[in-house]
Amino acid sequence: MSEMLSYDFMRIALAMAVLVGLSAPAIGTFVVQRRLSLLGDGIGHIALTGIGLGLLTGTSPTLAALAVAVLGAVAIEVLRARSRSGADVALALLFYGGLAGGVILTNARGGGASLQSYLFGSITSVRAADLYVVAGLAVVVLGVVAVFGRELFLLGQDEEVARASGLPVRFLGALVAATAAVTVVIAMRAVGLLLVSALMILPVAAAQQLARGFRATMLLAMFAGVLSAVTGLAGSFQYDLPPGPSIVLLALGVFGAAVLGGAVRRRRRTAPAPVLASREAEAEVAGR
Amino acid sequence: MTDAPPPEHTPEPAPPFAMTGGRAALDGREVLRGVDLTVRAGDVVALLGPNGAGKSTLVRALLGLVPLTAGRTEIYGVPPARFRDWHRLAYVPQRLPAGGGVPATVREVVASGRIARRSRWRPASAADRAAVDRALEAVGLAGRARDSAHLLSGGQQQRVMIARALAGEPEALVMDEPNAGVDAERQHALAATVGALAAGGRTVLLVLHETGPLAPLITRTVHLDDGRVRREETPEMSA
Repeated sequence: MSEMLSYDFMRIALAMAVLVGLSAPAIGTFVVQRRLSLLGDGIGHIALTGIGLGLLTGTSPTLAALAVAVLGAVAIEVLRARSRSGADVALALLFYGGLAGGVILTNARGGGASLQSYLFGSITSVRAADLYVVAGLAVVVLGVVAVFGRELFLLGQDEEVARASGLPVRFLGALVAATAAVTVVIAMRAVGLLLVSALMILPVAAAQQLARGFRATMLLAMFAGVLSAVTGLAGSFQYDLPPGPSIVLLALGVFGAAVLGGAVRRRRRTAPAPVLASREAEAEVAGR
Repeated sequence: MTDAPPPEHTPEPAPPFAMTGGRAALDGREVLRGVDLTVRAGDVVALLGPNGAGKSTLVRALLGLVPLTAGRTEIYGVPPARFRDWHRLAYVPQRLPAGGGVPATVREVVASGRIARRSRWRPASAADRAAVDRALEAVGLAGRARDSAHLLSGGQQQRVMIARALAGEPEALVMDEPNAGVDAERQHALAATVGALAAGGRTVLLVLHETGPLAPLITRTVHLDDGRVRREETPEMSA
């Protein structure tokens, strides 16, 4: 660990890993709650077109990816809200268009090699200037969660009750999608666009196995996210493995451990059945 | 500009819900075919009718959740699109299971019913917490507050949603089939809750299959069939 910290690029990479590990599961909890686990993958595909545009026009690929990803995410949400059936195909069109467009645009510039780094991440090539941008975006993501969290929670629970409570449901839906897009851009340098969703979803899926409540799930997921990102990065340094896939495999490992832990805990809890609860349940069955 | 004057300038306060000639369609099929219905403050209205009569669509249209294709509806004298005082209302939907792909504790779900009374920036106050406590007591789930809501039985989840509505301390409550899948003892408990609301001058609109233990509390029954109001009765008339 001390050897690792003696390198500048590794200190920056570790700071990145912490930011990604915190922010991706935070918004990911709302994404999973809305049952949109594949949203991040779609946005990742679309962001690739932004990368291509950035490379082609000589502007910052990160900022171009941010702009295109946020626009694409809001478009997805509008399509989803408009129609329940047709949206499915429209989404697929956006995803494939984004991926194909990105590859064509990057190749037009002869940037096939850098494409690889965006698809699978290159956290160790991140410079201090990139880190400031990512830190700013992470503050935006965590700020949205802190300020709008209660409204987003009710939206994910029941959209009609949210409307009947006077919440601006369309704005909030677009906010979740746009914030997920910002997160995709944050995580893209760390784990790559093709694996970006993993850090939004896997820590939340792991935390769900152990937590009873929403807030507890989110906090536990953020802990699991930082744990996976930092140990994955350290492991990749130690054993000379690609960092992005190492982080994702570790997150999968954390998920597996959580499933086992949850199963053990449930078995322990169901053994001495609480008398009151079971009587009440019986009464309700009888009342049907 | 001319409509929706401030309530203090009107001689009689606008009723919680007033629909005239309301028509609405779901997936191209006309479900409401010209409904006239006014729910006055303090009313306890039972909306009855066979399956497919349009009861759920009617209450959702009254709340502005389903757009009208013709006619008009007002909430406290204001069309739903311009209505702002949502803390005056609460809605208990029919569908189960209570939502979302992430677990939430019973208390978290019930506390979300306070949302229309809390600004975005204000943390929960003692009054918020006390209202949530009272709502949990009212449905008999105070002991389950820290459990995952989605692991409860269907009837218990229904009570969680009723508690969420109560937590907002609304003036008018709309409940869609609150007694579906609920045992007799719990139906009496719901009747006690509705009785307390009615005694406090609140308005309650209930979609019901049968009035059951709620019957003595109901001030008016509205029979809906095929998207139209077939008849309205006050208990004095039917007795």
